[in-house]
Amino acid sequence: MTLPLTLPRPAEAVKGQRIRHAAAALLALLLLFALLGPVAWPNHAAQDLSRFLEAPSLAEPLGRDHLGRSVVARLAHATQLSLMMAVLCVVTALLAGTLAGIAAAWRGGWVDTLLHGLSEAFIALPALLVVLMFSAVANGDLWTLYVGLALAQWVEYFRVVRARSGLVLAGPAVEAAGLLKLGPVHIVRRHLWPELRPLLTTMATFGVGTSILALSTLGFVGVGIQPPTPELGLMITEAFPYYHEAPWMSLAPVLVLTTVLMGLLALRSKESST
Amino acid sequence: MSMRLSHLAVSSGGTTLVDVENLHFERGQAVTIVGESGSGKSLLAHAIMGTLPGNLTLQGSLAVDGTTYDLAERTNRRALWGHAMSLLPQEPVLSLDPTMRVQEQVAEGARSFTSDKASARLSARTLLGSLGLGHAARAYPHTLSGGMTQRVAFAAATIGNAQVLIADEPSKGLDEAARGELAGLLQRHLDGDGILLTITHDLDLARELGGTVLVMKDAHVIEQGPAGQVLTEPAHPYTRRLLGAEPANWNYCWANSGTVAEPAGQPLITGEALSKSYGGQRLFFDLSVTVRQGERIALSGPSGSGKTTLGNILLRLLPPDSGRVRHADVLDGGRLQKLYQDPTLAFAPRAALKDSFGDVMRRHRLGPDRLEELMASLRLAPGLLERMPGQVSGGELQRLAIIRAMLLRPALVFADEPTSRLDLITQQETMSCLMDQVDSQGCALMLVTHDQSLADAVAHRSIPLGTDDAQARERKFETVSAP
Repeated sequence: MTLPLTLPRPAEAVKGQRIRHAAAALLALLLLFALLGPVAWPNHAAQDLSRFLEAPSLAEPLGRDHLGRSVVARLAHATQLSLMMAVLCVVTALLAGTLAGIAAAWRGGWVDTLLHGLSEAFIALPALLVVLMFSAVANGDLWTLYVGLALAQWVEYFRVVRARSGLVLAGPAVEAAGLLKLGPVHIVRRHLWPELRPLLTTMATFGVGTSILALSTLGFVGVGIQPPTPELGLMITEAFPYYHEAPWMSLAPVLVLTTVLMGLLALRSKESST
Repeated sequence: MSMRLSHLAVSSGGTTLVDVENLHFERGQAVTIVGESGSGKSLLAHAIMGTLPGNLTLQGSLAVDGTTYDLAERTNRRALWGHAMSLLPQEPVLSLDPTMRVQEQVAEGARSFTSDKASARLSARTLLGSLGLGHAARAYPHTLSGGMTQRVAFAAATIGNAQVLIADEPSKGLDEAARGELAGLLQRHLDGDGILLTITHDLDLARELGGTVLVMKDAHVIEQGPAGQVLTEPAHPYTRRLLGAEPANWNYCWANSGTVAEPAGQPLITGEALSKSYGGQRLFFDLSVTVRQGERIALSGPSGSGKTTLGNILLRLLPPDSGRVRHADVLDGGRLQKLYQDPTLAFAPRAALKDSFGDVMRRHRLGPDRLEELMASLRLAPGLLERMPGQVSGGELQRLAIIRAMLLRPALVFADEPTSRLDLITQQETMSCLMDQVDSQGCALMLVTHDQSLADAVAHRSIPLGTDDAQARERKFETVSAP
């Protein structure tokens, strides 16, 4: 006979719930900024050198940069670009990694050997190096960054999915489904997906954060997206020389990065605890 | 030394889980509590030890050697743990530390361990030696058999010379030989003038221990008396039902029906010259088995003798090392089904039961009336299907697994220890549901069990594998037919 388990105290659960709500609200605000910002401030490239390093005002909430461009317009476009790229990379990596992971666990044999070997090769290389190699080939085009980031990230989805699917597929529940002739659709839908879904959502939320950070890191060191396209990392680099005159210029992109990462991390605790 | 428990009451919310007036324990006298799952037996043991979870309310008092302890205060018995009172836990494999060698683990319990490690190790080695485990002192628990881990747990529980030993379902998962060994160990504790409280649903263990037997049902002790009397001439109707639930006392019409191994029956599975070994340990060699239509076969033998492995090979779920297995065409299309020891592992854990059943019925184009009919004949409420597998009791879930297998009108069902985790009454209920279906559909049954009386009650013939752990490695087995 098993003894009744103690349940988590309600106070802790309520507190966790509040944090998650706050994080979701913060991310929703940021998303709204990324979607509507570029509509409200469509022109991020218009220069007006006479308004060089203008201080924030009602019309220009973040002032103007060293070339007299609207900082809020550039920030809105940069946020949109970062979020879109990150989501696209994560979706691609997740799909590729999950499909490859399930295929390797299910088929075994040479499929498993091949895919596993390939993933080992990728794991041996630091993720940023993969992206850097790709950027070097095509000189900072957007698609090379996308391919590089997706290539660097599919491995972790592959390895987690392969390990977990292997356990599930070898279990008695799947064996019983096989004897009942239920077919692969049932196995994926009822056995694999419910088991993988919480893992994948956790990894994907974390992956979006990592991708945004990787993009801005590359922008910061100057090998990512090339100017004049606004990008968070690039904006920080460009604003550094004017930090004393116009601190808001470098702090705004940092704030956006921090908000995204904190929001995603706080949101993530939900999936990992259920 | 004596021990007396007075006015024990355990409750959760408004529900009473245990309510026992007085219990008296004497030196050298076994006290055994029997009853079905959920009757409160284990809670009683944990209430005495002071290891109940904090969300349960506890009242009562315990007098040990003239000192009275208030049970409501959970921590006051801690000083007694190990040297005056100790617990032999359920399923020792789970309570031993898998990363520690056996001897070190046992030595930890010795009183001198903190001051003099060498003498603690010496006494651990002596104790293990006296239990016939001298050779295994350096081994890790997972490398030992179920019976051996039980002896290690016994050593760890008794090295502190505790006079009071509480054994919580000690025979769970043990085969007959290991249970006999366990009874010997517990007897040894009694012979050393110890106090023994055993919680079990295994009536054979209760018989072997003798002493006083208490029968618990729904939180109350409904009958108590000397083992010989309670277990042979029960006064309470529930005790009579409990005794009637032992396979040896079953009396069902299906017991003598079905085809009795007639050679004319169509062979469903033919296994020829099968061999299998695991890690250098030979399970069987050159074994040929034929399963015919309508036959009921028991694969019996002690734990680790390869019963389940043989069954899985015959079902072609595992490849044999050599030999081959042929299936008749009638087994195609899902007419070969398997029941598992732990039904919670046999259902998709995160899908509601109605979805799991829905998939089976859609795939095989079965109408809902077939499921309803089976649910009714196995006495299950339709509302159970709304739940997740983890929210249904073990007995009910096993019956749902029987329904799932029977939906496809199988020609052969392989039942792998389907009731070894269930108490006697639930076992009887589950087996009678299974056998009613097997009988009415005329399907063949292959039952894996280490319970010889269950095998005798159900099967026409049995394929014995292994006789004991040591011999199982070298012996060659053949099928034996019994009328």
